[in-house]
Amino acid sequence: MGAQLPEAEAGGAAATLAVAPTVAEPSARRGWTRNLDVIIPGALIGLLLFLCFVWPLFGTVPPPTGGNILDANIPSFSPGHPLGTDQVGNDLWSRLLYGGRNSLEIAFAVNVIGLVVGGLLGAFAAFWGSFTDTVIMRVLDVLIAFPSLVLALAIAQSLGPSKLHTIYALSFFSVPAFARLARAQTLRLRERPFMLAARLAGTRAPRILLRHITPNIMPALVTFGLLGIGVTIILEGALSFLGLGIPPPQPSWGNMIFDGQAVLSAEPKLVLLPSAFLFVTVLAFNLLGDALRARGNAS
Amino acid sequence: MTDQAVRPGPALALRSPALRLIGNRLATAVPVLWGVTFLTFAVIQLLPGDAAQQLLGINATQEQLREFRDKLNLDDSFLVRYFHWLGDVLTGNLGNSLASDQPVTSIISDGLPTTLELLLYALVISLALTVPIALLAARNPGGFVDRVGMVTSMAGLSVANYVLAVVLVYVFAVKLGWLPAIYTNNTGTLGELVKSLTLPALSIGFPLFCFYTRLLRADVLEQMQGEDYVVTAKAKGVGPWRVLVRHALPNSLFGLLTIVALNLGTLIGATVIIEQIFAVPGIGHSLLEAINNRDVPVVEGIVLVLAVIVVVANLLADVLYAVLDPRIRYGRSAS
Amino acid sequence: MRHRVKPVVLLCAVAGTVALAACGAKTNSSSTSSGSSTAAKGGKQGGSLTVVLNSGYDGAWPAGLDPVTNTNGAANQSLMNSIYGQLIELHEGGKLVPGLASAFKFSNGGKTFTLTIRPGVKFSDGTPFTAQVVADHINKVLKSPCTCRPTWPVKTVKASGDDVVIDFAAVYAPAAASFIDSNANWVPSPTAFKKLGERKFRVMPVGAGPFTVVSDKLSSQIVLKRNPTYFKKGRPFLDQLTFKSIGGDEAAYQALQAGQAQAYENLSTPSLIDQMKKDPKLQVTQQLSTSPYNIQLNTNAPPFNNPKAREAIYYATDSEAIRSKLFQNRYPSTQGFTAPGGLFFSADVPGYRTYDLAKAKALVKELGGLKTQLGTINVLVAKQTTQALASQWAQAGIKTDIKSYDLGPLIQAFQSKKWTAMLQTAGSYDPAAGVGVAFRYASQSPFSGVHDKKLDAMLGQAAGTLDQGQRKTLYDQAAKYMNDKAYSPFLFAFAPASAAAKGVTGPGLTTALTAVVVTPSILYDEVSMGGGGSA
Repeated sequence: MGAQLPEAEAGGAAATLAVAPTVAEPSARRGWTRNLDVIIPGALIGLLLFLCFVWPLFGTVPPPTGGNILDANIPSFSPGHPLGTDQVGNDLWSRLLYGGRNSLEIAFAVNVIGLVVGGLLGAFAAFWGSFTDTVIMRVLDVLIAFPSLVLALAIAQSLGPSKLHTIYALSFFSVPAFARLARAQTLRLRERPFMLAARLAGTRAPRILLRHITPNIMPALVTFGLLGIGVTIILEGALSFLGLGIPPPQPSWGNMIFDGQAVLSAEPKLVLLPSAFLFVTVLAFNLLGDALRARGNAS
Repeated sequence: MTDQAVRPGPALALRSPALRLIGNRLATAVPVLWGVTFLTFAVIQLLPGDAAQQLLGINATQEQLREFRDKLNLDDSFLVRYFHWLGDVLTGNLGNSLASDQPVTSIISDGLPTTLELLLYALVISLALTVPIALLAARNPGGFVDRVGMVTSMAGLSVANYVLAVVLVYVFAVKLGWLPAIYTNNTGTLGELVKSLTLPALSIGFPLFCFYTRLLRADVLEQMQGEDYVVTAKAKGVGPWRVLVRHALPNSLFGLLTIVALNLGTLIGATVIIEQIFAVPGIGHSLLEAINNRDVPVVEGIVLVLAVIVVVANLLADVLYAVLDPRIRYGRSAS
Repeated sequence: MRHRVKPVVLLCAVAGTVALAACGAKTNSSSTSSGSSTAAKGGKQGGSLTVVLNSGYDGAWPAGLDPVTNTNGAANQSLMNSIYGQLIELHEGGKLVPGLASAFKFSNGGKTFTLTIRPGVKFSDGTPFTAQVVADHINKVLKSPCTCRPTWPVKTVKASGDDVVIDFAAVYAPAAASFIDSNANWVPSPTAFKKLGERKFRVMPVGAGPFTVVSDKLSSQIVLKRNPTYFKKGRPFLDQLTFKSIGGDEAAYQALQAGQAQAYENLSTPSLIDQMKKDPKLQVTQQLSTSPYNIQLNTNAPPFNNPKAREAIYYATDSEAIRSKLFQNRYPSTQGFTAPGGLFFSADVPGYRTYDLAKAKALVKELGGLKTQLGTINVLVAKQTTQALASQWAQAGIKTDIKSYDLGPLIQAFQSKKWTAMLQTAGSYDPAAGVGVAFRYASQSPFSGVHDKKLDAMLGQAAGTLDQGQRKTLYDQAAKYMNDKAYSPFLFAFAPASAAAKGVTGPGLTTALTAVVVTPSILYDEVSMGGGGSA
């Protein structure tokens, strides 16, 4: 499969955003400005993580649920409610932050699972080759062919929508994608001299995997994971459209958009605000992933 | 490697390595197809909730429930039911909807063409935009088109397609009135169809375009800078556009088409959501309806058909790639 | 969007006992009539109207449109009425009016109900519309295994000349009312049924109504064209009528704004109602309420088998706040199962437990805490109401898990008996019919959380007499009894609104009609585009 692009190997939903390697161009800038393409999105992500995970701990943010109906539809810039309240009285700023927390938690969990489980599967498959490889790859092919959305729907229908179940459902998308990538990366490594040397020296397989393969494929997997986070957040929102995802009254950007678009004509900010946050977050992760990938290719 | 001065264009010369590869691919597709049928059946059947009670409702007597279960062989073991179902499927019988009693095949044949039309339209939009922009960008890396293109595509990738749909409807249908807000098919003309599907296709196609552009651009650039034949062509005085279009592009397009096929599963997922938003009577809509109603035969039928389409598309892409990729054709290591 | 906005009624559709409308009279001997009694001024002839419907409720007809098997019959009333016409119709002011039946009356002290079938009427395929055909149909519907069959206490149904004679096992006051929105009201052509076969008939039904079916895509779109042999002269006004299913109120509004539809039934989102009222191109008409929002409590299982827990819910519920802030004061508050648009309305119930947070807290403390689930149908305003309620109850120390269900799973939840609290609607024009009181509070109903023989007896009595005064007294007593036992808090009398483009006129679209099952049966044979009076 060496003739194919590594993104082709990735397949699956996560590949929707897999960005092609940007051709490395020597930067004319000096010093830290050379790293602006990593610093800016990195800082943005840092800010978002801070706002969503840290700020509510000691900042004065009211709870995102349990709002009093008498507080409904308070306009933006009101005292105590910088962005106003929604139609049942919950503070909108709070819902954006906590919603972000939920969305990001799901996204991280799904991609970590994908990276670990998928990465292992793919590396195994490539490492052992022949029969094991074929079997694992065929199973993954089945999963990729299967309209994963249906799988996700089936899971939510039977188990009931919840954060955990959403994570399971979305992991069905991410594991095969990571597996394919890990496999392609590992295949590339197989023929390298240091691998041959290790094998000749009699190093046992698990050791090879751990000490040689893993560190070498990690960068590609992590970069892929960063891009995957953006995809996953968007997918969680899609699941909310179809009745899955995080169940109300708990917020997630996805279900806020879904609830908001049902009253778009009356209260556009209920859609615009979470959409804006969603966009900026996904953009930041994409930019970061893209920048890291460019570096990875240059080396 | 040196026997090709100029890389030949895509000719369909079948050589035995290619044939072998095709045979290989076909052979592996079969177990995948089987796995897909099994997974489909397993997932749906394992949904909790008694379909019989649900569909017959609260007034159903024990007698009626029993009769219903018999009709669906619900009391047989899982494997027996699976093989029974598989046998039916292979003879083209997908059963009848539990809710409306209509044959599943007719439900699918009603909705599938519309969904495929939507998908095709989205792909056409995305590819029609991708090719010229990617080429322009690759022609002058770092130039204006390249920079603007990359920024736009990065932004476009970061937008959720359902958010885009909501915005598109608001701007183009409600405010400007240029395009319909929901799918209509009153006159059955092509013009009306195209108008109805434009906003939905854009919602799907624009993020796709962003994705494909970056891929195509990168691949073309890689070829322009890396491949021997390009260097040779330039040395011979062949113009850069000619090299781009006649040589780099076709090869890169294959890579792109492979990705299109690989992404089909996700694309179908996107279609399901977009169909809901625009009330398009496609197969995604029918699927959601059926899942909601626990209409097991319909869900199984639609999922199976969709999965088979994806497997076949991937197979075709693989085969096409194998046949047309000169590197494989000329026997270079393929894995 | 996957979650279609479904108006709060839902259950009626599947539960099947659809019925309602007023009994209207002590004796209820109705006029013989001319079909155009209310269609006074006459509208402009011609035109093509597109109506959008909620994909979750009236815009879903997954079982097809054969009245014998249509589980969604009550929800699909607009479609069914348009295709089949109605034996008995419900017009403004709750008047029961003859339709395909030219007259109807009670006799035998209320135990016999006779319909006289209009002579000379034909189905759209030419088959004669006779009393025998009607009697056969009613018998078939009563015996069908469908959950949609009417549960009337019928002994026999026979045809005799032009009459269909129904003998009940006991006096059945809501008999005429029960036809409205019931599958017995819509008679299919037996010849067409035989020719097409049951399966195809579901998709391409044939009736004697104002319109015939041109094309039908289940739960998506149906196109109808005028029936030139419709028995009402000069009707329908419209040449073509299309029903299209869309996601919800917002999607409907967008379709109306974009000019792709000219009417929408069942508008429930308050903020959108305001928005649409301001739009100069649209007219929004509030319909009359017959079904109050209520909180059903399952008294058969913990925690609500304990009356103190039930009382705590009453005291912790600030329905005024919800009514004014979420629903913008649109709907009158009510403490019982009757509503201003229906019969026997009494707003207040003596001794009703109103909002009192201190008492609620005390009760919860006494109980050592209270935990419950609160379910409702998957409709925006219903979901928002459960969120508001959960927040209010939290103030009293009650922990609530809210959950919303689609119609199918909602029924399953009731059937599993594992529910604890549900936000629903209860009541209909005539409380004895359809989704009236018995539906939610009688022992034998699967949708009831109450098993109280005394209440059963009261409700049975109220249905078993034709004396209006006596019925009102009995219903008042029942409401007081229910409150004494703290069975179920009531909130306010909800009713949807209809939206139409300027120039469209019609009963239920631009005038207020009595709702049978929350949503009114819009009379599409009286709807016209432009000109003419309201009918």
